[in-house]
Amino acid sequence: MASQAAMQTYDDGIVRAFTIASVFWAVVGMAAGVYVAAELVWPTIDFGLPGLTFGRLRTVHTNLVLFGFGVSALIGTSFYSVQRTSHVRLFLPKLAWFIFFAWQAAIVLGVASLMAGWNGGKEYAELEWPFDIAIAVAWVSYALVFFGTIAKRRVNPIYISNWFYGALIIVIAMLHIVNSLAIPVTLDKSYSLYAGAQDAIVQWWYGHNAVGFLLTGGFLGMLYYFLPKQSGRPIWSYRLSIVAFWAFVYSYIWAGPHHLHYNAIPEWVQSLGMVMSLVLLAPSWATLINGVMTVSRAPEKLKTDPGLKFIVLSLAFYGLATFEGPMMAIRSVNVMSHFTEWTIGHVHSGALGWNALITFGTFYFLVPRLAGRPLHSEAWARVHFWLALAGTMLYVISMWGAGLTQGLLWLALDDFGEVRYGFLDVMAALNPYYLLRFVAGLVFLAGAVLMAANFWMTFRAARAARAWPREAVAETAA
Amino acid sequence: MSGSVSLLELGDILFRPRRVFARLAAAEPDPTRVFFGLTLWLVLLPPIFVFIGTHRFGWLLGVEPIVLPDPIIAIVSIGYFVLLAFGFVTTALVSAWMANTYGAASSFGTHFALVSVVGAPLAVGSIVHLYPHAFINVLVLVPILIWVIYLLYRGLPVMLGTGPERGMLMASALVAYLLVAWVSLIGITAALWRFGLGPVMGI
Repeated sequence: MASQAAMQTYDDGIVRAFTIASVFWAVVGMAAGVYVAAELVWPTIDFGLPGLTFGRLRTVHTNLVLFGFGVSALIGTSFYSVQRTSHVRLFLPKLAWFIFFAWQAAIVLGVASLMAGWNGGKEYAELEWPFDIAIAVAWVSYALVFFGTIAKRRVNPIYISNWFYGALIIVIAMLHIVNSLAIPVTLDKSYSLYAGAQDAIVQWWYGHNAVGFLLTGGFLGMLYYFLPKQSGRPIWSYRLSIVAFWAFVYSYIWAGPHHLHYNAIPEWVQSLGMVMSLVLLAPSWATLINGVMTVSRAPEKLKTDPGLKFIVLSLAFYGLATFEGPMMAIRSVNVMSHFTEWTIGHVHSGALGWNALITFGTFYFLVPRLAGRPLHSEAWARVHFWLALAGTMLYVISMWGAGLTQGLLWLALDDFGEVRYGFLDVMAALNPYYLLRFVAGLVFLAGAVLMAANFWMTFRAARAARAWPREAVAETAA
Repeated sequence: MSGSVSLLELGDILFRPRRVFARLAAAEPDPTRVFFGLTLWLVLLPPIFVFIGTHRFGWLLGVEPIVLPDPIIAIVSIGYFVLLAFGFVTTALVSAWMANTYGAASSFGTHFALVSVVGAPLAVGSIVHLYPHAFINVLVLVPILIWVIYLLYRGLPVMLGTGPERGMLMASALVAYLLVAWVSLIGITAALWRFGLGPVMGI
């Protein structure tokens, strides 16, 4: 009943739609990831079909989990929290629904285009120019709804989660529009407006800050709203959260060049990227401390909230990923890790351990409230927790092993000072790690499927409960 | 005897850890006795296994072995020992530092004993270093690591006398610290290789 009342007070239908879409894309995107992981072990399972080749399917995986799962979760949770922290309904709710359908259509058609071979060739920005325009329109609409809601708020302070969500919206708009500037030649092909090293610098200014403001900043917005809600305690230090926000915004934007160490860009630009990456550790860990201290004051909630465990664990992996990133930006370390599977392991310690776990934890909080029913099975949620932890650990460790092996073999020289090992030697050495990574992905995916089934049963029970009184009335009348 | 823990109890530590946790919870172990009775021997095992394995087989990465000269193997092994000892002590210090937040026992000896007992399976499992094939080491040590994390979650509330929920939170905070410590170890290792302490690389 409380949930029904909340849904009448706030526009939560749109939140529910984005939540369901996010869970759906999580399962599909992670399944695509498991499939491409399997292709590295058994390369012939693309069956000679161009759409199933590793090169195409890998971008399908990254786009689905980043933009399907991640962004849908961010938009949905931001719409949920901005209404409650502003004490008003959404600004332009029909526009919010337009964003939902536009975004889902962009995902579906975008994935089809990637499988058909349309590819702009930029990491995390592979979609071709028609999609870039569509995404820009949807994103600016998102900005209108979000900031419009804040503009008509009934409480004066703007809560910290909205600062992070706001930074996500503004910076991603800036990054996407600038990085996507291109000259179209056909419907499926365009050329970047930038050339050579400048193109690389702009791309990694985009790429790193997409990680920063979407996968870090956006999800910190989620953390700052849902952690206090789930723990039933205010943020440990609100002042620290504000300081961390501004330090985060200021320092993140400079760190992109660490992706281009030992490349054809000026050395001082590389050094600047490295130093700013190290500076970044301070605001990242300020938030970590804030999160850990907030949850440490509400241990009793762990008994009643199956999602809180996920958030607690996500903080541990947030600590790992935000330490590992700056460490890998140090050039003496980067010389070993660059272009190796260690980088993939690092990305997944963040993507699985931080982004996915905090989203799962948030959804375990949200879904019962959106459905107006208790979660179908808390036991399933507990099993999911251990599957997620085991899958993440196995993934990260397998890729650490693979990355170090790869780095060592690439840098080994023979007696004549020539590269000692060829491509096939290195691939053969990595094969067992790829198998382990495939298993890790399967374990993590199994957890996500269990969560989706849990939510499906929860919503189904809610629908049955709503239908029951009508059936009872009909039977009585008959 | 009840105030400490030693290598003689390794069987209990590995196969009946709950009994050891319960016994140590009732005592207040002396950190010096724990160090010389158990920790020192545990942190000696992996470097010794590494030295023997690398000397005998070289590093096996799936291609031909990478053979290192004995002086380099000795330096790598000593470095491994120093980092492990540093890791055990600092983890116990961090654990003791966190204790107040989670309403746990604050005696440093108890934290040191906890870290040593929980870390024992990994130290013993490092016997796999005798055959330094990278993937086989990963394959053996990962399940042991998962067991160690499980032991930490189970043992911490018992030994430190805090509730299961607070214990879960504190164990998660320690896992965060350990993950960071572990990746630091990898980063430091890579940087040391870069500066010549390890295999010859074309940098």
